[in-house]
Amino acid sequence: MTTSAVNVILSRKERFEREPDRRSEDFHHHLFELEAEGELVVQRVAGEVVEVPTKYGIAKRIPKAHLWHHKSCGQCGHIPGYSTSIFWIMRKLGYDYLDPEDQTSCTAWNYYASATSNQAAQAAVAVRNFAAAYETGFFPLIHCGTSYGHYKEVRSELLHDAALRAQVRKVMERLGKQLVLPEEIVHYSEWLYAVRDEIAQRAVRDVCNVAVTVHPACHYYKLVEGDAIYDPDVYHGQRTAAVSGLVQALGADLRSYSTFFDCCGFGFRHILVQRDFTRSFSTLRKIEVMRAEADPDVVLTHDTGCVTALDKSQFAAQAHERNVGVPVMSEAQFAALAMGAHPFKVCQLHWHSTNYRPLLEKMGIDWRAAWAEFEEDAKRLSDGRQQFLTWADVDA
Amino acid sequence: MDRIVVIGGGPAGLSAGIAAAELGAPVTLVERNAFLGGRPVEENYASITPYLEDAAMVMGRMEERLRAAGDVEVLLSSEVVHAAGDGPYGLTIRTPDGERVQEASAVVVATGFTHFDPGRETQLYGYYEFPDVIALQDLEAMLKEHHVVRPSNGEAPRRVCFIQCVGSRDRQIGNEYCSKVCCGVASKEAIEVRQLLPDSEVFIFYIDMRMYGYWERQLYWPAQEEHHVQYVKGIVTEVLPKDGRLLVRGEDTTMGRPMETLMDLVVLSVGMEPSPGTRKIAGILGLAQNKFGFIEAQQPPLDTVGTSRPGVFAAGAALGPSDLEDCASSGGLAAARAVALWRQHQTVGAR
Repeated sequence: MTTSAVNVILSRKERFEREPDRRSEDFHHHLFELEAEGELVVQRVAGEVVEVPTKYGIAKRIPKAHLWHHKSCGQCGHIPGYSTSIFWIMRKLGYDYLDPEDQTSCTAWNYYASATSNQAAQAAVAVRNFAAAYETGFFPLIHCGTSYGHYKEVRSELLHDAALRAQVRKVMERLGKQLVLPEEIVHYSEWLYAVRDEIAQRAVRDVCNVAVTVHPACHYYKLVEGDAIYDPDVYHGQRTAAVSGLVQALGADLRSYSTFFDCCGFGFRHILVQRDFTRSFSTLRKIEVMRAEADPDVVLTHDTGCVTALDKSQFAAQAHERNVGVPVMSEAQFAALAMGAHPFKVCQLHWHSTNYRPLLEKMGIDWRAAWAEFEEDAKRLSDGRQQFLTWADVDA
Repeated sequence: MDRIVVIGGGPAGLSAGIAAAELGAPVTLVERNAFLGGRPVEENYASITPYLEDAAMVMGRMEERLRAAGDVEVLLSSEVVHAAGDGPYGLTIRTPDGERVQEASAVVVATGFTHFDPGRETQLYGYYEFPDVIALQDLEAMLKEHHVVRPSNGEAPRRVCFIQCVGSRDRQIGNEYCSKVCCGVASKEAIEVRQLLPDSEVFIFYIDMRMYGYWERQLYWPAQEEHHVQYVKGIVTEVLPKDGRLLVRGEDTTMGRPMETLMDLVVLSVGMEPSPGTRKIAGILGLAQNKFGFIEAQQPPLDTVGTSRPGVFAAGAALGPSDLEDCASSGGLAAARAVALWRQHQTVGAR
């Protein structure tokens, strides 16, 4: 039996509209003020722009095209299909980009894992990469959640600390570069969120029967939290909409689980010094909980550390007959698959440890035929007929 | 003719209106709702703290006193939208019949508070995700109907807990203040739940209980000794779904260990924030606000109602977290100050 009070309570919960929060500064004003004073250069968002909602209502402007891809160390080392999928999606949607060769690591690993390095060095590395993007005219798009969170912290430090700006400017002068900050610091999953409807329109595979759980990356939404995307239509605006918003747009079966807020287990210090802790945390607190509560076909996340930790940790857990066995990938890889990308030439799922083949079958992908195609390509490379694969090969 | 304009028809505004009218001044009371009584009526409070009297009846008595007090005009569904002058003021009031300008020799702002929205920050408590996570005012409304159930299934809860300091005393959120009443209200509601559902177990998770003055004797000890409410020191960190119930996870600081316990109904003791009306009227009248948005009294502690604008006084929760007794007291003081000004203007006008 319901009563009027219960009805009022339930209706109150139907929609949540977050009010602007006084803690979350809108940094833009300060940024442009410093530019006007000649303290720094602001690289502006240009071209076609999508405004997305952030946690406390400050609109964030995401440029659709002409993007400079700040890649992730983890992608390059462990999950090469991650960045390839992002590039592939941009090509399919017709947005130009630059895959730079002069990007450095953000070095946030030093900062978060071991506290080595120092404030000025960290900020200088960030600005060096921003300046490199600025010089090309392409706008930076940050692939790595760690780099993204770190750069937002660096931005705050630079905006508020004149002495630090002076130190960094000195370093930049030696490098022949300017002190540049972009108008927005944009994560690739924010770009995917901004173009999610275009991606959904281009989907060629039906994913409505695919059960998906999302692991939102800590560095994406727990650092400088006011800058992360929150959408009232995604979990009532109570969780970040990055990843989940795309899953919804693709029409997949988005499922919740109780430990969504927990870290993937990667952390920083303990992946270096207590790896077994990471493995047990990833499996016991994340994967097994998802299995028990949501039974997903795939876990999607948007940080390379998270993909690595959740995927590789299951390999060890299988030996102990734990309740694991859920494929893990980035939402970029999942979206690319839905849009018809090749599972091996583009998404490079063969680099993943957990068995992804049942997922591919559920998506209507003949992985045996795809693997045969890939082996054929690999043979051409190994016998010297071709030096490397090209975009023409992946769409062949 | 100049009148005293009271903005807000809740406990503080009613108290101010009654006092000013009884002192002989003409009063215009402007209330945005179509009814008087403020939050206690708007949110369907069951009873008032600490006496457990019926809230609607208490507020109804206040309204009767106001209307009987003298030259009182009550404008419902109305708002002050503009103020001209440096005091006295020409207040533009938007009423259902259109806009009018009211000359005011003094203004009492009693625009009150709003309950902290538990979805804004405390995503770990899942207010918007779990039907059985409710707030103090939600439980009040159920208590008023004498029907406390789990909203998810309509069943009576067997285990109920309150989580204190949701949106108060929280530097992370930015509300670095105690909302004063939540400990007392939670204890009162806990007693009422135990009375209504004698088989239930009721817990209160708290940082430290803040029972001002007589509330210690009126609520805190009776809750434990007569009604067996269980107080657990330690803050809850997250609420999760588990087996159709709610898993409450946190730290028991007395025992010095992590804690996990299953509940049927979780009540968030949400604190106070300035109401949208308080923020709005502060802008219209140009009143100084503190960093939290409440109107700032200029010379506390002994002048608690004077604002940054001459002739404008504030009362009740527009000034900061207040219980009903504080609201009634500051409403009366604001009225006395307003009447003194009104008399000065009458005297000057008569010369």
